[in-house]
This record gives sequence, structure tokens and C-alpha cells, in this order.
Amino acid sequence: MYRKQVRRRRAVLLLLVAASLTLLSLYYREGSSGGPLHGAENVVSTVFSPISSVTDRALKPVRDLVNWFHETFDARGDKAKLQDQVASLRDQLARDQTQRQEAKELSALNELTSGGIVPDGTTPVTARVVGRSPTVWYSTVTVDVGSGDGVRIDDPVVAAQGLAGKVTQTTSNTAQVTLITDADSAVTARVQPGGATGVVEPDVGNPNDLQLDFLERGSHIAEGQMVVTAGFSTGDLGSIFPPGIPIGKITRATVEEQQAYQRVHLSPFADLRDMDFVKVLRTHSGKGSG
Amino acid sequence: MILTPGIIARLAALGAFAAVAQLVCFSKMDVFGTDPDVVLLVAFSVGVLGGSLTGAVFGFSVGLLMDCLLLETLGGFALTMLCVGYVAGRYRETVGRPTRGAVALLGAGLTLLGAMVIAAIQIGTGVDANVSFLVVRDAIVKSMIGAGLAIPVLLGVRLVVRSALVDERRAARRPTGPRAVEAP
Repeated sequence: MYRKQVRRRRAVLLLLVAASLTLLSLYYREGSSGGPLHGAENVVSTVFSPISSVTDRALKPVRDLVNWFHETFDARGDKAKLQDQVASLRDQLARDQTQRQEAKELSALNELTSGGIVPDGTTPVTARVVGRSPTVWYSTVTVDVGSGDGVRIDDPVVAAQGLAGKVTQTTSNTAQVTLITDADSAVTARVQPGGATGVVEPDVGNPNDLQLDFLERGSHIAEGQMVVTAGFSTGDLGSIFPPGIPIGKITRATVEEQQAYQRVHLSPFADLRDMDFVKVLRTHSGKGSG
Repeated sequence: MILTPGIIARLAALGAFAAVAQLVCFSKMDVFGTDPDVVLLVAFSVGVLGGSLTGAVFGFSVGLLMDCLLLETLGGFALTMLCVGYVAGRYRETVGRPTRGAVALLGAGLTLLGAMVIAAIQIGTGVDANVSFLVVRDAIVKSMIGAGLAIPVLLGVRLVVRSALVDERRAARRPTGPRAVEAP
């Protein structure tokens, strides 16, 4: 009897491990072009999308409360003095801060996208961030607009302060946004003023540091300079990002690193770990309004 | 754990809620620069309470759901959570019911194991970009948070599946009054 149980346990374990590995390799082989596994994944995501949206709103006070504790811990110098007052106002404060933050983020988003960075032929649509990958390896977020709103793969996505990433998967009412801190991300960029160009790549695991690689030799870049998307276009090949979207600010630019590796470091303008709203720059006209 | 259709339905609901809550709530929290991996602790708890087979199947199912909801490579999280559920269950079957200290240590260890399996899958499928040392720091902080959350999560899962636990049934059947009163 015991041996039978052990055999059954081992068989189920082997079966599950084999299933996982098979799914991994089949999915990897399908690539980004799609296939039956991508289709099945989209169906499940679509089914769970309304549940995720409702749960997101329902659990937002809990999340804000935990984040509030973290921020308070950081400012512990002021904490003791204000603790009594804050304790009585905690619930009200959490609600007010959430609404204010959302309004501020939306206003900044509108300012950014109405400032001339939206090229002709694209329509921005506002989206709420409803999911985030729990690991540092997958720098992706899920937003609550999808192909039904006119969002397509490779559409650029901007946050309130600057470039956030691009759409890499869509379902009818959600889309996966791969952030510029993702291991697979690479954005052609230009340093302003000066005009030196390079490719912005991530430093996986460190969301506050990006690298501007492949700089032209002889370009002199200083800390504090701004980096924007270059938006190169050569014949049929063009960057998916329109030119002029702010990406970040140069934080480290040593002469040695520029000469030896043709590289400088920058920090992104967008707070990629704490975004509630983003704008997807639709390159095709969609039915939704933004 | 006695698996009746009712308990399987409860486990399915628990898994679905845990996966959705992880993505929309816990992953967006900022605790010491990282976020708590609660869904992994739920798989660990089911393994501890239900044994290796239940833990492995639960972990695989919840992991697969996470893969689908994240629109990521299918099988990555499934394999990770399957490992966590199975190892937790095997601990219960070979060592016995864990003490509170052991639960915290197991929570930390299995969170670290989960981070390592995900990292191995990522490296196996090819990462072209530089990998910062902060990945290691993230895994360590996450495992410490896992140690702190393991007991409350286990107690929560225990509440959900309480009626199916063999220990609870034995306790309920055990006579509570003094033996001398039972028979002359």
C-alpha cells in the first residue's frame, strides 16, 4: 500500500515537471508571433481581467496602507512627532492621498502628451495599471486597455514623467507593457543638448539605473543632461518610439567609461515601480477614447 | 488532508484569489524595496497541510494561472510553485508537523528557492542584458519577508481547509471531560 502511494506520488511529480518543461519549451518555440499556447493564455487572461480589475480596486486601500507604512518608516525622524495625529487620520489620509496622487499623475500625463511629443497619426489612450510582475526578471505591467480599445503590439507607452515601455502582448481588454527596465528592452536615444546618440539598455534588478550604450566616440556627455528618444527612421525601418519622449537624466558619465566602453548611466524620469496610470500611444485608430 | 469535492473547490478558489491578489495588490507593495511573495507562501501552506501530492498539484495549477495572467512564458511560475508545494509537503511527510520556528524558516527557505528557480529559468532561456547584484539582495529581502509572513499565511490557509484536516477531526472526536465520569 505504502509503495503504491510512493509510486503514485513520484508519477504525478514527474508528470507535472514534464508538463512544466514541455510548456516552457513549446511557448519559447512559438516566439512572439503567437500560437495555440499564446491563444490559451490570452483566453485565461481575458476571463480573469474583470476579476483582476475589481480586486485591484478592492485591495487598493490595503496596498496603500502597506506602502504608507513603508514611506513612514523611511521618514522615521518625523514619525514620532506626528504619530498620534497621523494614527487618527490614517484612513482618511490614505483615501485622500490615493485620489490626489491619481489626479496628479493623470494631469502630468496629459501635460506630457499634449506637449507636442505625440506624433501625427497616433492617439493616446489613458490606461490604469492593474497588475505587475512579482519578480525583477519580468519588468512588465498589465494595463486595463487592450486590442478592443485599439491598442496594438509595439505601441509606445508613457508614464507621467517620461517613457515607460512598449506593448508586447494584448488581449481584448488588457495589454502587457514591457518596461524599459526589462532585460529585453533597448531604446535608441539622443542626449540633449549635444545630440549624441546611443541605445538605452537596463541594468536588470536595478530599476533606478539605465545604461546608454554604443555612444559615438568623442562625444562629451556630462551629468545632468537629458536623454530623449531618438526615433530613428531609415527607409522602411523605423524606431517604434516617436522622437523627443523624455527617458531620463544622466547620473554618471566618467571620461574613462565613455572612452573605454562608450557608455554612460542615467536614471529614468518615470517612477516605474509606482505607476497607477499610463498613456498608450496608439499607432492605429481605435474605437475607445483617450 | 481529506480531499472532498468541496475542499477541492475551496482550494481552487483560494488559488485563484491568491494569484489575482498577488498580481494586483502584493506585487505593487513596497516593503523594504521589494514586494512580498504571498502566493508562494500559500502554495507552501497547502503543501504543509495537505502533503506533497496536494502541494505539488496546487502549486502547479496556481503557477500556471500566474503565467497566464502575466502573459509570460507558460510553465515558468508553474515549475517554481510546483517545487515549493512539493518540498513543503515532503517536509511534513518526513519530519512531521512543523513548529512555528520551522514554519518561518521553511517560509524563508522556500521563498529563496522560488527566486532561484525563476532565476535559473530566466538564465536558461537567455538574458542578454547585464544582471545587477540587486537581484541577490531582492531575493534575500524577499525571503526575510517570507519568514515573517509564513505563519499568518499558514493560519489563514488552515482556516480555509480546516474541515478537511485529519488532525482537526481527531481533536474534535477526542473526549474533553474527565475520564472518571465516562464509566463507573
